[in-house]
Order: sequence, then structure tokens, then C-alpha cells
Amino acid sequence: MKEVLLDCFGEACPIPLVKAEKKLKELDIGDLLIVQIDHSCAMKNVPEWARKEGYNVEVEEVSDGEWEVVIEKTK
Amino acid sequence: MSDIGSTSSIRRSSSSRPARKPAKSQLLQAILFCVAMLIIGLVLHKQTNGTSWYFVTGLVFGYILQRSRFCFTASMRDPYLTKSTTVTRAVLIAFAITTIGFTAIKYGYFIKGLPIPGMSYVVPISVATIVGGLLFGTGMVIAGGCASGTLMRVGEGFLMNLIALFFFIIGSLWGAHDFGWWKLNFISKGVTVFLPDVFGWFGAVVIQLIVIFLLFIAAEKWQEAKTGNSGSH
Amino acid sequence: MEKLSARMLKISDHETYKRWLKTAWPYLTGAVLLSLFQIVTLATTGNPWGVSGTLAQWGAWIYQALGGSVEKWYYFSSEGAQNVLKNGILNHPDSWRNFGIIAGALMAALLASQFKIKKIKSYKQIIAAVLGGLLMGYGARLAYGCNIGALFSGIASLSLSGWVFGLFMFFGAMIGSKLLVKFFM
Repeated sequence: MKEVLLDCFGEACPIPLVKAEKKLKELDIGDLLIVQIDHSCAMKNVPEWARKEGYNVEVEEVSDGEWEVVIEKTK
Repeated sequence: MSDIGSTSSIRRSSSSRPARKPAKSQLLQAILFCVAMLIIGLVLHKQTNGTSWYFVTGLVFGYILQRSRFCFTASMRDPYLTKSTTVTRAVLIAFAITTIGFTAIKYGYFIKGLPIPGMSYVVPISVATIVGGLLFGTGMVIAGGCASGTLMRVGEGFLMNLIALFFFIIGSLWGAHDFGWWKLNFISKGVTVFLPDVFGWFGAVVIQLIVIFLLFIAAEKWQEAKTGNSGSH
Repeated sequence: MEKLSARMLKISDHETYKRWLKTAWPYLTGAVLLSLFQIVTLATTGNPWGVSGTLAQWGAWIYQALGGSVEKWYYFSSEGAQNVLKNGILNHPDSWRNFGIIAGALMAALLASQFKIKKIKSYKQIIAAVLGGLLMGYGARLAYGCNIGALFSGIASLSLSGWVFGLFMFFGAMIGSKLLVKFFM
């Protein structure tokens, strides 16, 4: 069960989501993708997309204006 | 969106957990900032041309945009890039509500025989509209924000959008400079279509709302077809 | 000072604070509230909301400050435009509305303790910002407005121009997305 960190700090809007989508394709079932985000739109649209795909998602605010979106690839 | 305490349902190794930065709150700065804005508003109130009201509405718009992460750019970009139409549908709803409100106000003036207010955006359709739309749509996706989005993100601290704002200003000046040429060659040959002139007031509103409704359904179907579910707002 | 920040932290943990000031609103809430204040704007100022016209104005003032002159430009030839130029930015209501948008967003972020300065990460971002900004600025002048003025206010004003602009904005967004993924990621 791998845990992969994806640093998207400082990236503009759709980029965290596009990168997360790509990265998630490379992972196996059961792996965790941890996306680090500081964009307010991305902290909304990345979890939304992941939930639509059917993955387990949790969002944690780790600092002022910084979030970690933890996605578990369940299928 | 769940808050994580110590009962996370995703099992995660402690080594990947980031060193928790010391928790602090920005509430103090927030309150000071609010007070500062209040003072600015009061000072502006002394001017007679309604500047303080414009400032207040700006604050309100900025606040709403940031809190809801509302993004016109996303409404047009996501259907293509991420196959999501939740923001698109929210924008359509905004169009519908505003159509009703705007028309109500304008119709009130119309039936009293008074000049209709707020016609500043009823403008000629020409090649300039098409080129303008293409340029603007391309630019907003590349820059990571539209006009309102850029201002909002400057307020959120994005230095990239600050650069975008600066060049938005330069581009606007350039456009203003060239505007005379566009007006002469294209815009003056364009046609202005105010829908009530064509369909009557009631007809125009009904048709527009129907179009918005159909687009809404289409957006829903698009997301369902591409991702298997329609999500929420 | 320590007691004050400790108390601030306690408030930040409170459920009510989280719900009203911290947790992001649904898009639908934003749509309804923005519409409400668009209508309020029309009712109270006689004109719908607009953003980009003001930015052209800022450009003119900056240009003038650097020694340039826009007085002979067709775009600024009307009496109203000449007056705005003469009265300056501090007397310009629309300019204060744009300042307000920046301040309002800043306020929202601070109240939620989510404010952070996001620095430039790569030179690609700079090129993207420059190019994107120029395209938006120029395009908005051609269409008499941006996503707020030409699109949002235009459509709400029952003008076909809003829809035409929107359609081509949509095509432009497709082009922009392709460019974004190819060159700016």
C-alpha cells in the first residue's frame, strides 16, 4: 500500500486536479494519493472529482490556506 | 468534506503526516482589516457620488466569490477539461435569477414610459464580439481566472494573478487604443438585438429561461455521460 | 497578546464559526447571492455590475502618469469618459468597487484563517499570466466587457450579444485548456 505525495502548492486552478487525475491512474488499488493544495478552488474541485469517481476522500487543513486532500484509490 | 480529528477513516502512516505547523488564527488580522475597511467606507461616504456604496458592493461581491469559490472560468473550462459541470450549472442558475430580477426592474420603468436603465451591456453583435469572446475565453483559462476571478485571487494572495491583473490592465489599454479601428470596421456594421424588441418582454424572458433550462439539462447529462453521475451543487 | 490569540484559536474551533466563516459555501449559494447583489446593483446604481471597463480606465491613468495621453482616442472621446479621466481614480465609483472586490476576498480569507501568499512557482506561470492577462484585457474591450459585464450582465439584460460572447468564450476556453495542458503545466 503506497502513499504518494503530490505537491501542488502554488499551482493555478485546474492544474492540481489534472495532475491528481494523471497520478491516480498510475497507482494501484489501495494506494493513497496525498495532494498538497493551497488554491481555494482546487481544495473544492479535487475532492469533488475524487468522490464522483468513487474514491475515499478526506480533506485536512494543515495550515492557513494549505490543505491536504487524501484520496484512497478504492477501485 | 469531513473534518479530520483523530478518527480518520483512511489509514495513513504517521511518517507521511506533515509536521503540524503550530496552529494559529488569523482572526485578529481579520478583525483589524474589517475595521480598516469600515473606516475607508466612512471616509468615502463623505464624497457625494456614491463611492462608498460601490465600495461596499465590491466588498460583498469579493466576499461571496471567495467563500463560494465561484469561478466563471471553471464554468466554461471544466466541461471540457475535467468533464464536470457543477460550476456551469451554478452559473446558469445565476443567469436565470438575474434575468428575472433585471427584467422586473426594467419593465417597471418601461410601462411608466421612462427610459430603461442599465442598457449599457446591450451592445452590437459583430466580428468584434466573436474575436473578443475567443480572446477572453482563451486568456482566462491560461491566466487561471477571469476578470472577477483575477481580482478575487489577488485578494487571496496569488502573486501570479497579480501579474495577470497588471497585464489585463495593459491589454485593456491596448484594446481601448484599437477600439476606434474595431468600431469603424466591424462594430458599426454589427446588429444590436435586445430580445424584448423581438419577442416582447414576456416572450423574451420565457424564451431565455427556457434556453437556460435546456442548457442546464444538457450540462447535467454531459457530466453524467462522461463521469457516471451528476454530483451536487 | 498571548491571551488574545489563545481566545481567537478557541473561537476558531467553534462549530458556528466553522459553519459561517470557514467552510466553503456551495456553488449554488454563490450563484443565488451574486444574482441578488447584481440585481441590487442595477436597482441602486442604474447600471449592472462590470469589472473590465474600470481596468481600461486604470490603464489610461497609469499611461497618463507616465506622460502619455489618451485624449485623442475614440474610446475616451465621450464627455462622460473625459470627466472620469479628469476626476481621477479616487473619485471613480467603479474603481472603488474593484478595490472592494479585492478587499472582500482578502477579508473572507482572513476571517476563515485561510490567507496565504502564493508565490510564483515557475517561469511558465509568469508567461501564462502575461499572455492570459493581455488576451483578456484586449478581448474584453472588443466585446464591451468581460465575464461579468458582457456575459453575466449582458445575458441578464436580455441582450443577444451576451449569448454570442458566451458561446465564443466557451470555444476560447477550449483553446485555452489545450494550450494550458500543452505548454503551461
